[in-house]
Amino acid sequence: MKYLLRKVLLYVFIAWAALTMNFLIPRLMPGDPVSLLVERLNGRIDPAAMSAIAESYGITDDPLLVQYLDYLGSLARGDLGLSIGLYPVPVADIVMGALPWTIGLVGTTTVISFVIGTALGVVLAWRRGKRTDLLLPGLTFLNAVPYFWMALILVLVFAVNLGWFPVSQAYTPGLTPGLTPEFVGSVLYHAVLPAITIIIASFAGWVLSMRNMTVTVLGEDYVTMAEAKGLPRRMIRLDYAARNAILPSVTGFALSLGAVVGGSMLTEVIFNYPGVGYTLFQAVQNQDFPLMQGLFLIISLAVIAANLIADVVYVFLDPRTRQEG
Amino acid sequence: MSRATSRATSRATSRATSRATPRAMTRAMSPSTLLPSSGKVRLGLAITLFFVLLAALGPLLTAYDPQQSGPDILQPPSGQHWFGTTQTGQDVFSQFVHGARVSLGVGVVAGIVSQVISVLVGMIGGYFRGATDELLYVLTAVFLVVPGMPLLIVLTGYLPSRGMVSVALVIAITSWAGSARVLRAQTMSLRRRDFVEAARATGESRTRIIFSEVMPNALPLVASGFLFSVITAVLSEAGLSFLGLGSLTTTSWGSMLYFAQSAQAFLYGAWWWFVPPGLAIAVVGAGLALINFGIDEFANPRLRTGRSRRRPVRRSGPVAAALAAATTAPEVREPESSEPTDPGPQVRPADVAGDPVVSVRDLVVEYDTPDGRVRAVDDVSLTLHRGEVLGLAGESGSGKSTLTNAVTRLLRTPAEVTAGSITYHRRSRDGSRREDVDLLGLPDDELRVLRWSEIAIVFQSAMNALNPVTRVSAQFDDVVRVHRPTMPAADRRALAVQMLQKVGIEPDRVDAYPHELSGGMKQRVAIAIALVLEPEVIVMDEPTTALDLLVQREVLDQVMRLRDEYGFAIVFTTHDLALLLEIADSIAVMQTGRLVEYGPALELYTDARHPYTRALLRSLADLGALL
Repeated sequence: MKYLLRKVLLYVFIAWAALTMNFLIPRLMPGDPVSLLVERLNGRIDPAAMSAIAESYGITDDPLLVQYLDYLGSLARGDLGLSIGLYPVPVADIVMGALPWTIGLVGTTTVISFVIGTALGVVLAWRRGKRTDLLLPGLTFLNAVPYFWMALILVLVFAVNLGWFPVSQAYTPGLTPGLTPEFVGSVLYHAVLPAITIIIASFAGWVLSMRNMTVTVLGEDYVTMAEAKGLPRRMIRLDYAARNAILPSVTGFALSLGAVVGGSMLTEVIFNYPGVGYTLFQAVQNQDFPLMQGLFLIISLAVIAANLIADVVYVFLDPRTRQEG
Repeated sequence: MSRATSRATSRATSRATSRATPRAMTRAMSPSTLLPSSGKVRLGLAITLFFVLLAALGPLLTAYDPQQSGPDILQPPSGQHWFGTTQTGQDVFSQFVHGARVSLGVGVVAGIVSQVISVLVGMIGGYFRGATDELLYVLTAVFLVVPGMPLLIVLTGYLPSRGMVSVALVIAITSWAGSARVLRAQTMSLRRRDFVEAARATGESRTRIIFSEVMPNALPLVASGFLFSVITAVLSEAGLSFLGLGSLTTTSWGSMLYFAQSAQAFLYGAWWWFVPPGLAIAVVGAGLALINFGIDEFANPRLRTGRSRRRPVRRSGPVAAALAAATTAPEVREPESSEPTDPGPQVRPADVAGDPVVSVRDLVVEYDTPDGRVRAVDDVSLTLHRGEVLGLAGESGSGKSTLTNAVTRLLRTPAEVTAGSITYHRRSRDGSRREDVDLLGLPDDELRVLRWSEIAIVFQSAMNALNPVTRVSAQFDDVVRVHRPTMPAADRRALAVQMLQKVGIEPDRVDAYPHELSGGMKQRVAIAIALVLEPEVIVMDEPTTALDLLVQREVLDQVMRLRDEYGFAIVFTTHDLALLLEIADSIAVMQTGRLVEYGPALELYTDARHPYTRALLRSLADLGALL
């Protein structure tokens, strides 16, 4: 369990680093964001709100350490400041409103694409040298397609030209959110196209990495021994080859998750999907810095948590990490 | 996404580099085979070259300024506007080629900066270890886990002015971590290698060792990391510009998409506006990734796809690859014997009591190589009797492993049996029924039944032969379950415990994982698993080579005791002739695929007839191994 403890400590540290980065970025970036802000917003909101913003923004003349402690204090209270664009709505409220949409869409599609990609990668590895290898350049292409461009194409074909799916939004406007069949159906219907976008744009990466790992593992002695044992092919492939090849894929989850989340955020923008990505986009457009930072923080913490989960799963998959001492 | 692939494949690469045979490496090193080796790489290079030329020369091909509005609004492609026009009448083709410059430029700049950071952080951490490494490792972990795109968005959100260079730098800062971790792992494995140890011993400075000893060997990883950084950067720039966070006064593929999106181009069906830039990003990304395939396959021969059987004459990578991927790559060597004449195979009748259990007749195994066919096993005939210990001696590359792999049907392409036969003489337990089985022609399902229950194997390195992620009990259990489907689970477990005790392992270790056992214990477990179905024949492929001498002795004694108890026959492969003289009933000496001498062990010792055998014996005597 020492391994797990180390991992937890590492992630606690990473989370702290993300918090601190979030604190330092506006203070260390060239230029003075507050005066920049005042300049940009001048005339758009009244001066009283302006000073309130500067204050809620936390950049004062206090020493950095005092500011930092204030910052940590408000975070502990769940206070992320007030939005500028939607002044005076608390950032935390906006984030909480957006989060379920993203977790629902991106969480589900990430799992689906990981499962599809990994399974396909194993199959392609078994069939290496056969005609299925011709799929590889195509998968490489898919892997390099920008999410948002894929989204544009799918919208053009399936929403604009064919009219099968709605162009944007998460549900039909005018419906009252609730657990009614009508509302749930509308949510699922609206989620189809964004979900397909994310799956298509992200599964190829899993296929390619899983294929390479499995091919490498298939050359290991223990796979040869399994064959020599006269085990059925399915058992060799699953219990020996795939079981070992999946380990790096689970660890690799860390990296790709960041990329998938980034790509999904752009996908949300195309579909006007009211998740974290779309909200971040709007925050950027409105130069709503507190909202931007609040969203960054939540996204980072969510990805860090997902990574920790992946590492816990890894401990169950690889007995070598459970070694005592 | 791309970065995930990069990391996972590179991990595979770093693991596999150490396994690549020197022969495969030298073959692949020569530039003539590296460049044209694979269609994938050639396609990738062609794509990359095309876009580089497009970026360099494209703007010269168009008369339009990319920003210049015109009277033709949202025109589809025509002779005048090759890629049509935008909502404000700008020429899309002109934007496309100018955008290529910016997008690729940002990609390359960010790729270089990001790779420089990776190399520094990865190599310094991996080489120096200790506190420096811990610190850099945690730093890397932070940048690895914190999602790049949101960080990028926040960072650029604060940038006072967004020039392309500052965008590139910000992208580099958010994307170096994956590659740094891979390089760290590779450096850590390299620093333990002999040539680095040697450089350290001669007192070379650390900087020199890192840059002149370690770095060149990590070069494939650096190159692959660079290409992936470029892909990531091109995608990130596109994403940022698409969000309106890039430099909107500069035309890039991303900003084209931004304007197309904000003008709702897809609602008007103006595909010519947004298809080219996105498609170009994807194609460039795919092109660079294809080149990366080549780099991965170069560093990890197992990844190459063996097409050798279909195109035997092509001088190309896949062939060398498949060769390296095969269990043993035969090396053709000049006979090392000092005596000029080869008297041919010296075969004497065996004086073993039992009747034959495996007969090999005139066996020829060939490999297709770029230089033609190589005979790894050349016209070999052998007979293994019941209960006999047959020693198979010869240096690596003599074909002994290829021979045993032919017997166990574990030959991998491109190795192929081209002549001869291998017969297994089956006998029922009471000896009443006999049947000859053609091993080479046995259908897969019958082969599966025969495997392990009649012919089992002990591999050279139990470290690699036991499945690292399942318990010892499970590795007994699966084979018993498959071959004795009626045996209840409790009996299977009791059997595993009983077999472990036979090889001197405590019953409670049955639930251990392989990594919890010592090297000698693992080899005993492997032997116990080989015995579990009481096979007639056990093929032992250098079973003791990986063990230290004392353990080797114990394991050997155990094997011989078990042989006396169960009466199985053993094919014992080794390069250690002294060992064979001690344990074997008969010995077969192989050299460059041929059987040079074969006969009872004692006679071979007292009266060696082939000059090669005599040379081997002489060298043993010189070492004092024979008294």
